[in-house]
Amino acid sequence: MPQLFFALSLIALALMLAVVWQASAPAWKTYQREFHRLEAVGEPNALTKNAMLTTPLDIRQVLLPGLQRVDRCTTCHLGVEDPTMRNAPQPFTFHANLAPHLPARFGCTVCHGGQGLATDQQNAHGKVEFWQEPLLPREYIRASCGRCHKEGEVPGVPELAEGRRLFETQGCRGCHKLNGVGGSIGPDLTEEGAVRRFPEWLARHFLDPNAVSKSSPMPNFHFTKEQARALTFYMLSLTSEQMGTYYSSVRLIPSAGYGRQLFVEKNCIACHTIGGVGSKSGSDLLGVTKQHSSGWLDEQLVNPQLVYPGSSMPEYDLETNARKAIVTFMASATAEDARSILAGRAKPLTAQEAAIEAGKQNFARFGCVGCHGIQLQGGVPNPNSQGGEVPSLLHASDDYTKQEVIKIIQNGKAPPVENSKKPAPPLYMPSWKNVLSEEDINRVADYLWSLQKKRDAW
Amino acid sequence: MNPIRDAWQSIFRRDPLSTDKGKSELVFLNVWLHIHPAKVKKENLKVKHTFYLGFITFYLFLILVTTGVALMFYYRPHPPQAYQDMKDLEYVVYLGTFLRNMHRWAAHGMVICVFLHMCRVFYTGSYKRPRQFNWVIGVFLFLLTLGLSFTGYLLPWDQLAFWAITVGTNIGSYAPLVGGRIRELLLGGHSVGESALLRFYVLHVAVLPSVMILLTMVHFWRVRKDGGLSRPVWKLKAESAAKVVTIGAPAEPAFRVVPASKDKTYGLMEVVTGKPIFETVSAEEEEDTVFSYPYAFFREAIALVATVISVMAVSLFWNAPLEEMANPVKTPNPAKAPWYFLGLQELVSHSALLGGVVVPALAVLALVAIPYLDPNPSRRPADRKWAIRAFAAFAIVNVVLIIIGTLFRGPGWALVPPWVHISGAE
Amino acid sequence: MNRRTFLNWGTAGIAALCAGVAVSLAAVVRFLTPSVFYEPPQMFKIGNAADFSFGPPTFLAEEKIFVFRDREKGFAIASAVCTHLGCTVGYFQTDGRFHCPCHGSVFGADGKVEHGPAPRPLEWFEVTLARDGQLSVDKDRVVPAAYRLMV
Repeated sequence: MPQLFFALSLIALALMLAVVWQASAPAWKTYQREFHRLEAVGEPNALTKNAMLTTPLDIRQVLLPGLQRVDRCTTCHLGVEDPTMRNAPQPFTFHANLAPHLPARFGCTVCHGGQGLATDQQNAHGKVEFWQEPLLPREYIRASCGRCHKEGEVPGVPELAEGRRLFETQGCRGCHKLNGVGGSIGPDLTEEGAVRRFPEWLARHFLDPNAVSKSSPMPNFHFTKEQARALTFYMLSLTSEQMGTYYSSVRLIPSAGYGRQLFVEKNCIACHTIGGVGSKSGSDLLGVTKQHSSGWLDEQLVNPQLVYPGSSMPEYDLETNARKAIVTFMASATAEDARSILAGRAKPLTAQEAAIEAGKQNFARFGCVGCHGIQLQGGVPNPNSQGGEVPSLLHASDDYTKQEVIKIIQNGKAPPVENSKKPAPPLYMPSWKNVLSEEDINRVADYLWSLQKKRDAW
Repeated sequence: MNPIRDAWQSIFRRDPLSTDKGKSELVFLNVWLHIHPAKVKKENLKVKHTFYLGFITFYLFLILVTTGVALMFYYRPHPPQAYQDMKDLEYVVYLGTFLRNMHRWAAHGMVICVFLHMCRVFYTGSYKRPRQFNWVIGVFLFLLTLGLSFTGYLLPWDQLAFWAITVGTNIGSYAPLVGGRIRELLLGGHSVGESALLRFYVLHVAVLPSVMILLTMVHFWRVRKDGGLSRPVWKLKAESAAKVVTIGAPAEPAFRVVPASKDKTYGLMEVVTGKPIFETVSAEEEEDTVFSYPYAFFREAIALVATVISVMAVSLFWNAPLEEMANPVKTPNPAKAPWYFLGLQELVSHSALLGGVVVPALAVLALVAIPYLDPNPSRRPADRKWAIRAFAAFAIVNVVLIIIGTLFRGPGWALVPPWVHISGAE
Repeated sequence: MNRRTFLNWGTAGIAALCAGVAVSLAAVVRFLTPSVFYEPPQMFKIGNAADFSFGPPTFLAEEKIFVFRDREKGFAIASAVCTHLGCTVGYFQTDGRFHCPCHGSVFGADGKVEHGPAPRPLEWFEVTLARDGQLSVDKDRVVPAAYRLMV
């Protein structure tokens, strides 16, 4: 009996030592030692050299409290800010073109993905079960720019703006919700970039939805490779994490270039003048930053009515960062800027053209293409309806009056049934009167009729 | 004048351990040991009579308290941080993973050991007079163990935890009239959220452990007061057995003074008349006893060390599960309750009323009532065939349902053999 | 088994157990020692030399330091934490001294205590030039008041 007790006690001691031994030599310590050795190689000063070699080994981390992120990548990737490590092997390689996105302020995982909390390679790179954000492949990393830069063109990443344009014009919202707006046939895409970061899957999905997701109701839009790539970039950038807000609340500098872009995009020159150049209805903006504090200007951009009751300036839903950028642009804007902005603007549309254009936009945005086809050719199978397909809209003006079409859009319509004994056709025209205003519906009808005119002309 | 010796003797004021008086005083002059008798029956030390399951359960509880307090230093009971703290334990806290593993595996072990202990007590008939009330306390300790395990299950705040608690609390909400109310009270809301996490945390680290400790104290006290660990009395020599006195059937003299032996001291407070509560020791039986020191203590120490090294060994090689962070909009398929509730979930999948209300309520009621409803005074297995069969059926059905729920239920709660790999929906 | 062997094995077992407990206790102390800090790092970069003007020191509120830049002497970093009870001192351009708002301690431009209950002069931290050209401050390394970094 006492022998048993002794043996068990020995085993307990041995197990405790094994536990301590297992925890004693994490891989990151090996990496840190190796880095300090590399670092000391080129150092002429013996004292500094010694200090480098004896640097205490510890876990380094970047705290991003507003984002609930902690990035410990720099525990091993020690050379990211050290230009002498340009040719060092990974994980020590210098990160070129980093400024102004320094890891100490921005962390790493917001762009690269991966598991910032982890301190061993496999887990940190996130290619493990139960981590939804694995490292992005190199060619997709730039998609992450769109997680903060949600408006305008991001220099060097044309895919983002193109992807956003495709999303808004191809009727994706007809089936998918984004930030609370859109249909509910397909999955909500608000978090798409946060939960499904598998770019290869997304790219193949856009080329042919059924190839990767069998029996997906999503129609094949016959995107080109470039378009699929652009949409993949845009998808990867979608997240509800308030990154832009967080970074602008720390020390991100909103550039004047971004501000100018917004100025063009929001068409400010339609009302305002800069140094007397432009339309005359709004105030002149030359030197506006000298007349008012930046806080006042920010307030003005958030809610113009609050600052000037009765102001005719509309409210623009701008992020903090975007407002700062506009104010920065204002500080440097001159009459010359106004002239070049005006020169870049397209010829204004006539009222009729504008109505048709708006109808086309509505048609695309609200997902009509999902059933009626991108070329309005119809043809989506609808078993047991007369004809067996969703009808084409190219000949709407032949078969109906404009009033009848408007009624159908307003109230919806069940397709005529082929055989009443079989199950009812799965697709039907939903009622749009709660989604689209009467004016919007009239414009869609205008758009359909405009197609008719084109045919006549031909 | 020897201050060091004085100090020592002020702490340990007993005779040398080489004397019988010293051995006795070691036990009853020590606050931690005096729950033991100075001498124990040899029968009681035999492994095959108890398997030391009560001790092992208690040791697992000690491990849980120790590791649990350690883990509390690194845990914040609030949604995103709670999960982040799990990751910190895994990646940066020294031995964090190991301690969490120990806590997790010891908790599962305790649920199993409490159940096995209950089976042992049932099969030896040890719930019978005069131990009825201690059995009832034992049932409550079993329920508390489940409660502690269940509340602890939510704390990592990962998908596994979130959905297990969602499913588990919904099983409870099937109770008529009060079910929904209880669930709301437990969760502090209509679904598992940050207030649920806080409530579960408080229950897990303060409320339930306190009740557990109190009831454990009563349980141990009653073990002594009900006559120590029960023994297979029918195996004693015929003449000794004849002299064993039990309440209800007192032998001729209801009160008998056993002459004191030379090397034993008795501190007799008062002599009162009345019947003794439990099996008394006859003079002959004296020979069947040994001093607790060292015989009982040694065995208990071995059980303790064996329990600790088992938990350590398991924790060294298997990590406690941690899935992705809890996501209320993404339900895993299938969503399963903690394994010890999977029997109930299995029943609920067939009939909500049966699995959620009738069966658990009847099971608990039956367990509590067993000692008062069992009319058979005999503890001899040969006299209790039906009791043993009934309890075996209860235990086996329980285990089988849990095994089905754990291993044989796939997406959509469909029956799937465990070896079929379930590929992801994508 | 006789008593002696019993006790010998038992004692050996208890010794092994005590060793195990000792290792565990050491491990617990190590467990409780934080390996990461949820606070701003002690060593950080404050930007390029050109970002700082000559003349009165620049106060960095988050880091609680004053950055001195002198045309001849170069850079020096003073702690803004009063050595008395830890309040944040302010630099007064009018008299060129540091004043503590809590208990009226006054420190000279060189950090020496001139008035009030502060027991020690303000601390000065090491500032070095990192390899990417930024100034790097290490609050764990206290240097003499005369320490300067010439850029």
